[in-house]
Amino acid sequence: MLRYIIRRTLYIIPIVFGVALITFLLFHIAGGNPAEVLAGKHATEEVIKDIEHQLGFDKPLFVNGEALKKGNLKAAFDSQFVFYLKQIVTLNFGRSYSTKQKVSTMLLDGLGPSLSLMVPAFIFGSLLGICIALFCAFYRNSFIDKSLVILSITGMSVSMLAYIIGGQYILAFKLKLFPIHGYARGFAGLKYLVLPGLIWVISGLGSNIRFFRTVMLDETKQDYVRTAFAKGLNKKAVLFKHILKNSLIPIITVLVIALPFLYTGSLLLERFFGIPGLGDMFINAFLSSDFPVMKALVFIGSVLYVFANLLSDICYAWVDPRVRLR
Amino acid sequence: MTDDRKNQLGNLPTGQSLWRDACGRLRKDKISFFALLIILLYSGVAILSQFNLIAPDYQKTDFVQRYLPPSGQHLLGTDHMGRDVFQRVIHGSNISMKVGLVTSLIAIPLGILFGSLAGYYGGRIDELIVWFYSTVASIPELLLIITIAYVLKGRISAISAIYVAIGLSSWVGICRVMRGEFLKHKEREYIQAEKALGAGSFRIMFRHILPNVFHLVIINFSLRFPAAIKTEVILSYLGLGVEKQPSWGLMIADAQQELSRGVWWQFVGAILAMFFIILAFNIFGDALRDALDPKLRGEKI
Amino acid sequence: MKTHTKVIMLLTLGIVLSALIGCGKKEGETKKANKGMVFYRSLPAKVKGFDTAQASDVVSNLVISQIYEPLLQYAYLERPYKVEPCLAAEMPTVSKAGLVYTFKIKKGVYFQDDPAFTDTGGKGRELTAEDFVYSFKRLADFDNQSTGWWIFSGRIKGLDKFREMSRKKKGKTDYNLEVEGLKALDRYTLQIKLKEPYPQLLYVLTMSYTAAVPREAVEYYGDEIINHPVGTGPFKLKEWTRGSKVVLVKNPKFRKEFYPSVGEKGDKELGLLDDAGKRIPFLDRIEMRIILEDQPMWLEFMNGRLDISGIPKDNFDSAIGTDRELTSAIKAKGIKLWKRPLLQVNYISFNMDDPLFKEKLLRQAISLAYNENRVVKMFNNRLIPAIGPIPPGIKGYEKGKVNPYRKFDLDKAKELLAKAGYPGGKDKNGKQLKLTYEAAGSDITNRQRTDLFIDDMQKLGIEVDVTYNTWPAFLGKVRKRQAQIFGLAWVADYPDAENFLQLFYGPNSSPGPNNSNFNNPEFNKLYDKIKTMPDSPERTRIYEKMADIVMEECPWIFGTYPLSYTLKYDWLKNFKPHDVGYNLYKYYKIDTKLRRSRVGED
Repeated sequence: MLRYIIRRTLYIIPIVFGVALITFLLFHIAGGNPAEVLAGKHATEEVIKDIEHQLGFDKPLFVNGEALKKGNLKAAFDSQFVFYLKQIVTLNFGRSYSTKQKVSTMLLDGLGPSLSLMVPAFIFGSLLGICIALFCAFYRNSFIDKSLVILSITGMSVSMLAYIIGGQYILAFKLKLFPIHGYARGFAGLKYLVLPGLIWVISGLGSNIRFFRTVMLDETKQDYVRTAFAKGLNKKAVLFKHILKNSLIPIITVLVIALPFLYTGSLLLERFFGIPGLGDMFINAFLSSDFPVMKALVFIGSVLYVFANLLSDICYAWVDPRVRLR
Repeated sequence: MTDDRKNQLGNLPTGQSLWRDACGRLRKDKISFFALLIILLYSGVAILSQFNLIAPDYQKTDFVQRYLPPSGQHLLGTDHMGRDVFQRVIHGSNISMKVGLVTSLIAIPLGILFGSLAGYYGGRIDELIVWFYSTVASIPELLLIITIAYVLKGRISAISAIYVAIGLSSWVGICRVMRGEFLKHKEREYIQAEKALGAGSFRIMFRHILPNVFHLVIINFSLRFPAAIKTEVILSYLGLGVEKQPSWGLMIADAQQELSRGVWWQFVGAILAMFFIILAFNIFGDALRDALDPKLRGEKI
Repeated sequence: MKTHTKVIMLLTLGIVLSALIGCGKKEGETKKANKGMVFYRSLPAKVKGFDTAQASDVVSNLVISQIYEPLLQYAYLERPYKVEPCLAAEMPTVSKAGLVYTFKIKKGVYFQDDPAFTDTGGKGRELTAEDFVYSFKRLADFDNQSTGWWIFSGRIKGLDKFREMSRKKKGKTDYNLEVEGLKALDRYTLQIKLKEPYPQLLYVLTMSYTAAVPREAVEYYGDEIINHPVGTGPFKLKEWTRGSKVVLVKNPKFRKEFYPSVGEKGDKELGLLDDAGKRIPFLDRIEMRIILEDQPMWLEFMNGRLDISGIPKDNFDSAIGTDRELTSAIKAKGIKLWKRPLLQVNYISFNMDDPLFKEKLLRQAISLAYNENRVVKMFNNRLIPAIGPIPPGIKGYEKGKVNPYRKFDLDKAKELLAKAGYPGGKDKNGKQLKLTYEAAGSDITNRQRTDLFIDDMQKLGIEVDVTYNTWPAFLGKVRKRQAQIFGLAWVADYPDAENFLQLFYGPNSSPGPNNSNFNNPEFNKLYDKIKTMPDSPERTRIYEKMADIVMEECPWIFGTYPLSYTLKYDWLKNFKPHDVGYNLYKYYKIDTKLRRSRVGED
């Protein structure tokens, strides 16, 4: 087991390097030069050059070929990419172009609002999905099951924008059931989170139910289920004792992998309901061409995913020893 | 497994009975058949609007007739420029269907190419490709798409930026499937036999293995199509998509602010147009998956 | 069974962990104490921070200028705009040649208490002339990359050398380095020596960039000074939830200052002089909520949760009747309307470097075909058609002036187009004339405006292809002179036409602010002249002449001057809008009783 974990953990390094490379290519090469924006409306050539210099955009991208030939290693690797790698290792993503704030501080500040919206919604949504799926599996192929499946597919087909705009307009503005917009720290902020949370749950419910149901139905075809029935156990017992427990393995795997998406999963929701989280920050960042913030959000999102994946693999290997041999 | 055996015996280029069987099953399923009809209808409308053969007045502005509610003359009313919303909804299908199609034409060949190389050759090539797609897969998809669309905006045409952004971000799924299948198939007897006969690698990969796994490509296509449509709408809504042609996402962005003054028709028109095509794809995709590959049911893509 | 236990364990662990994360951040203030007199407003963009050296955007200025103060300020009520002392004790004495300015600084002004004042145990110390020397050097310091450097660049003796030094040095910039043109003659006297006359200096010294920042605070907080404002102003920062809310409270150490007793004609009738001579500020607390989308902002205002608001374009019809005044339903809520032109010009610029646009007749034809009336209508008459580069409200704007090329006239446009060599939009070889328009963003406003322009050009016979850009892509093209024709706006930094006319000065061409790359020897000569000229009727005449040249040459299609429509509830007293001044909240007053009677609870 330990060997598996170590091997699996080491594999993270090349992946993280790959993510660094891709984000670097996107922002430093394809993204263009930010100095013109930063120089403001009274820009002059001199000011633009100054900014380029200060941000290191006048450095070579990867290596300084001339210095390398001369054997001056320090100068040779004084490049934008090496600087970026240094930033990653020290977890210091510099300062935002637009606000001049420390990117790390901004991210920490945005994490709370994002999580306080997404975590309850995620837990509630997953549990609700599992319960309904269980219900479907129990009454499978009945009228109720079929209607629920159709409803799920219908729900999946509605655009997220429709849920958000429609929900805000009807539930908050017309019926005045929820506040329209806002955020507050602590329990005072709870009322602001209910509607966006609800919208998130409902918009994701369709695909959740469909997926969980399929997993459970697959499980019913397994041999041990037949054995259990043969032993004379009743349907309820089999469903709860065996099927639910066994199907939880793939379900957990999927849920763990979905975890990192929570932090930006609410891109549009946060924007609409005024929740100052990371999703909203990302939209703002690209609207104001704030590369350091975009870069950090993309990078950290990827790293979280890598770790969630690792976690899910280890969980899987723990409950199913056969995996380790692969 | 019966199809494989047939292939091994008769060395057929495609598992024809699989397709025939699938068609038969689909025909019996009335709902999926209806869904297919809707998809064909949308495609037809998209093609016709490409050549401006229907709804030709979608760009016609009339400042006197702004914000007209739905009527016999304007089925879905008019927008802030006095343009006919229904005609614009029709033309919106053009962008959506194009995005679904073109992004597939980028992502699927990429996925097949990388997947088959990795699966067939294994070794270093496999490691490199697996590393590459694991890297791409770990970047949150929407963020990657937005970022690519963002850096390309203004450099190439808006619509190409969307194609590239979605296309380059969504090839990993099919690549994984292909790698697995090629890994499996290259060990099969019929391929071993081909090798023994001296067939070249590319011939084996694309003439022999690919046709046998092509139904998986079709399934992937039917699943990614609605996802691409949804993504395009979000991109356009965020201002990263098309601007010159009507797009459902743009229409929603415009309509959002008009809602509170009671102008609901643009919003409802775009949302419904989107809903029906995605619903049709979801239903048809499901049926297709069941018909072509019962094993795959329920996999989240 | 063992497997199942593990699964359940994992699941439970997962739920507990995520619940912990979710709740961890939920500590908070729930106390509902009496907050006194509170002013509520929304901000249309996020507050970036509180560093005076980065105060480039409106929203940051709105906050910073309540906390930090510069030497001078705009008189609140008087129009046309007039500069008066703020931290200066009186207006400066200026040497004859206009090169040496001497400021006396108010005595007994203290910074707010802050841990940064380690010598005094956290008590704020008295403001001195040295503080301005230090603060101005901060703008010049290369390390700060201040967006405000342009206001002093090339103006003050020795300051450019200081910047050069800060660029080349290793380690930290040495602020002890003397600058010839910036001297504290004694504790309360500041002397500024200029390289050449700078008539706009007084305006510049009202900007937040030039506010007094205590050196102790910058050294104590380092780069984090951006989050720890320490000023002399009437308010101080109480709470900042990034991206959501800023709360300011009254600064108890604020000096004795009084409400102005001189106003414009009509101010007395509006009750704006009722508090003349009373001590300011009146407000105990300012709560600014960041609301980015129009819709929620408008709904919150209608609920009385905000004291002032603009009118979102799409709510205009329901708020403003056909007579351009408030509808009675809105008036009944106690809402009042303030209308005024802004010091801003929206325009479409030709790139004069493009060989196509060397032809003046073509520019004039396009300008004539531009139907500004439709734009005005689309924006519910919240714009007025522009005639030239100088907006109303400042000297150089000529009321009733007619720009021969800036009145929609399609027939004349077609005639000029033919004269320019493109009859019917085709050149002599019958080739269709095509233009590429660069749009600076693809938000709704931009798209709608661009759609109209394309439509206008189509009617003239010119095909326009649009590229919608992100802001950096747009600026990149404009500053590299690759954009052919593009739409932009200029918002005045100070109420002086020079700020608009510099946009046509040849040497300011891209990447400078002259984006059209207009280069006219006669115009340049006149600009050189007014650059150092103090305000006088003669200068105004030159301004008008320069505007005439630009109107004739058409480097821009002059689009529109926006009007600002501000709505406010009647419980907000002493409100008078100001275009270039920001530190106005110290004059505001809330009738809390009236608010309670209208809204119910606080």
